[in-house]
Amino acid sequence: MQRRQVLKVGLGSVAMALTPLSWALPAREEAAWLFSAVDDPRGGHYIAGVALDGQTRFMIEVPERCHGGCLRPDSRQAVLFARRPGTRMHVIDGDSRQLAHTIAAGEGYHFYGHGVFDLSGRYLYVTANRLEDSAGLVRVYDAANDYAHVRDMPLGGIGPHELRLMPDGDTLVIGLGGIKTHPDYGRVKLNLDTMAPALMLLDRHSGEILARHEPSYHQLSCRHLDVAADGTVIAGYQFEGPEWETHPLICRLAADGHFSELALPEDVTASLNQYTASVAFSRISNTVLVTAPRGNRVLLLDTAQGKLIASLALPDAAGARCDGNGGFLVSSGQGGLYRVTPGSATPQLVASLELRWDNHLT
Amino acid sequence: MIASLRRLSLLACALLATPLSFATDTPTPREMWHGAVELQYAELSAASERLEASAARFCQSPDEALRQRLENDWLSAYQAWQAVRFIQFGPVEQNSRGWQLQFWPDRKNLVGSKVRGWLKAAEAPDAQDIASDSVAIQGFPALEYLLYDDAMDEQALSDPGACSLMQAITTHLADTTSALHRDWQAFGEHYLETPDYTETTLASAIQALEILEDKRLGEPMGLKGAPANGYLAEAWRSGQTVRLVESSLEGLRTGFLPGLTALLREADALPLAEAFRDQLDKTLVQASELPPGLVPSLEDEEAFRGLQSLYLDISQLRHLLGNEIAGELGLVRGFNSSDGD
Repeated sequence: MQRRQVLKVGLGSVAMALTPLSWALPAREEAAWLFSAVDDPRGGHYIAGVALDGQTRFMIEVPERCHGGCLRPDSRQAVLFARRPGTRMHVIDGDSRQLAHTIAAGEGYHFYGHGVFDLSGRYLYVTANRLEDSAGLVRVYDAANDYAHVRDMPLGGIGPHELRLMPDGDTLVIGLGGIKTHPDYGRVKLNLDTMAPALMLLDRHSGEILARHEPSYHQLSCRHLDVAADGTVIAGYQFEGPEWETHPLICRLAADGHFSELALPEDVTASLNQYTASVAFSRISNTVLVTAPRGNRVLLLDTAQGKLIASLALPDAAGARCDGNGGFLVSSGQGGLYRVTPGSATPQLVASLELRWDNHLT
Repeated sequence: MIASLRRLSLLACALLATPLSFATDTPTPREMWHGAVELQYAELSAASERLEASAARFCQSPDEALRQRLENDWLSAYQAWQAVRFIQFGPVEQNSRGWQLQFWPDRKNLVGSKVRGWLKAAEAPDAQDIASDSVAIQGFPALEYLLYDDAMDEQALSDPGACSLMQAITTHLADTTSALHRDWQAFGEHYLETPDYTETTLASAIQALEILEDKRLGEPMGLKGAPANGYLAEAWRSGQTVRLVESSLEGLRTGFLPGLTALLREADALPLAEAFRDQLDKTLVQASELPPGLVPSLEDEEAFRGLQSLYLDISQLRHLLGNEIAGELGLVRGFNSSDGD
C-alpha cells in the first residue's frame, strides 16, 4: 500500500558535504535528510526525505496529509505526524529510506501534527485530542518498545499543537491553540468565540503544568514554536478573529520566564495576514526565523530581544529549519526550497521541486 | 447609513489617487464586488427574516397553505445563501458562520441526530440555545430535516416541540444573516483599501467552483473514485440539490462576473471575461433544464446524462477561471496559504 520512490539526480552528495547540519538540540551530529510532509501536484499525500541540495530525495505515500515531524536523537529515525484531525504517525528510517512503523492514535483520539522526543530518544511526546471531552493531551510513547503508548498528560485546555523540549531536558513547551475541532465535523472550528489559547510549560515526568501564559486576546491561537539553546522560546500565533483587526502574532518567553508579545511595526504585523507557520532558531547566529505563508514572507528576528532584523518576500513560505551555518532553509508550498541568510537581502533558491511542501521542515 | 457614508468618502479618496487614464466614474473591480456582494447578503438577510416570519405564522395556525409557503420561504432563503457562498473570506469566517448556515457534507448524519435529540428534549430550545449548540443544528439542513425527513412522518411539524425548535433555528438564522450583512458593510473599508483582496476574491470564486465540481456534484455522482452516494449530496432530503447549484451559478453571474469583467478590462483581456460569461450562461441553462434533485437521477440513465453535462460545463467553467483567467492575471494560489494548519 505504501509506495516508495527513490529519485536520484546526481551531485547530491557533493552539496551535502558542503553543508553539514549540526544540531545543538536535539543531540545529533549530522542529518542527511530534510523530512517534510508534501503533496504531489495531483493531491496525493507523501512524506518526503530530501537531501540538502534539494535534489536527491525519496517519497513514501501515506493515506492522509501529514504536517510536522521530529528527529529521534541518536538514531536515523524521524517521525512525521498526520495533520489535524489525522490519526496516524509514521516512523521513517533515513538509512533504508523506508517506513519503519505506523502508529495509530487509537479509537477516540486524533493527533494535531507535532511531536518531540526526550534527549535519549526513548520517549516520544505527541499532542493529541481526546474526543469524548475534547481534552488536549500530550500522549507519551516508548520508542524502545515499538512505540507502545505509555500514558497521557492532560493540559487543562483544548487544541495543543507544536511542542518542543526545553534545554533542561525535563520541560516541554507547548503551543495550546485553543481551537476545538472534532473529526465528525472535519476541519470546522467549533469554539471560535470561547477559545482559551496559551503557551504552556509542562514537566514531562510528572505531567505537572509549570506555566500557562495567555496571549493578549482570546482568538490568538498559539501554534508553532522553537527553543534556543539558552531556553528562550519564540512562538507564533494564528489570529482567528476579524481579518480587519491587527493583533500581535509572535510571543517570546525569555530564559528567565518572562512572557511578552513582540511589538513589531504595525505594517509588518499586518503584512503577515494574521497567520504564522514555522518558527526556527539558528543554533549559530543569534537569529530566529518565522514563516508567514499567507503574507508570502519570512521574518528574521534577533534572539536576545525579539527585534526585527528583516522582513523578506518568499512565496507561500512554509517550513523552516536552521541550516547549520547560521542561516535557514525554508520550504515554499509552491515547491521551492530556499536558503535565507541573515544579512542577505533576498532568499536564495536552492531547488525547485514539483511538490507542495507542508508547513514544516524536520 | 454610516457605513455607506464611509464608503463614499473612501471612494472619493480613491478617486483622487486614481491615475487619469481611468475614467473617474468607473468603479474599481473591488468596489463592484463589494457592492454586489452587499446586495446578496442583504437579500440573504431579508429572505431569512421572511423565513422566520413564515415559521411563526405556520406554528400559530398550521395549515397546508402556510406549510407550502414555509417550504417556499425555506428554499428561497437557502438559495440566497447559495448565491453568495462564493465569498469564503471576511465576516462569513467569523465564528464559522458559513458552517452555521450550512453544515455539509454530513457523513455521520449529525444533523439528524442533533434534531432528534432536541425533539426529545423536555424543554424546547430558544434561539440562544441553538446559538450555543453545534453547527449541525444551526442552519438550513436542520430545517430541511424538520420539513422533509421521513422521520417527520411520525411527528407532525406542527407539534409544539417541533415547531418551537424550528422557530428557534429560524430566529438564529435571521440573527446570523443580519449580522453577516452588517459586518460585510463595515468590512468594506478594509476590503477596498487592501489590494490583496482582489486575489483573495478571485481565489475564493475558483475554490467555490472546485467545491461545486468535486464535492457538490462529483462525489455524490460517483465520479471521484468512490461509488455514487446520494447522501453526500446537499439537500437530498428535499430533493433540491440541482436547484441549489443553479443558485450558486446565478450568484456568480450577479455577484462575481461584473467585478471580474472590470478586472479583465483593466488587464486588457476582455475576451476572457466574455468567454467566462458565455460558459456561465451555458451552464446556467443546462442546470435550469434539469430536474431539481440529484438522487433520483442516479437511478435514471437519461437524467444522469443530464447531470454529467452539467458537471462537464462546471468543469470547463472552473478551468476557464482557475487556469486561463488566473494565469492571465498572474494569480498563483498557495498550498499552505490557502489551507495550512
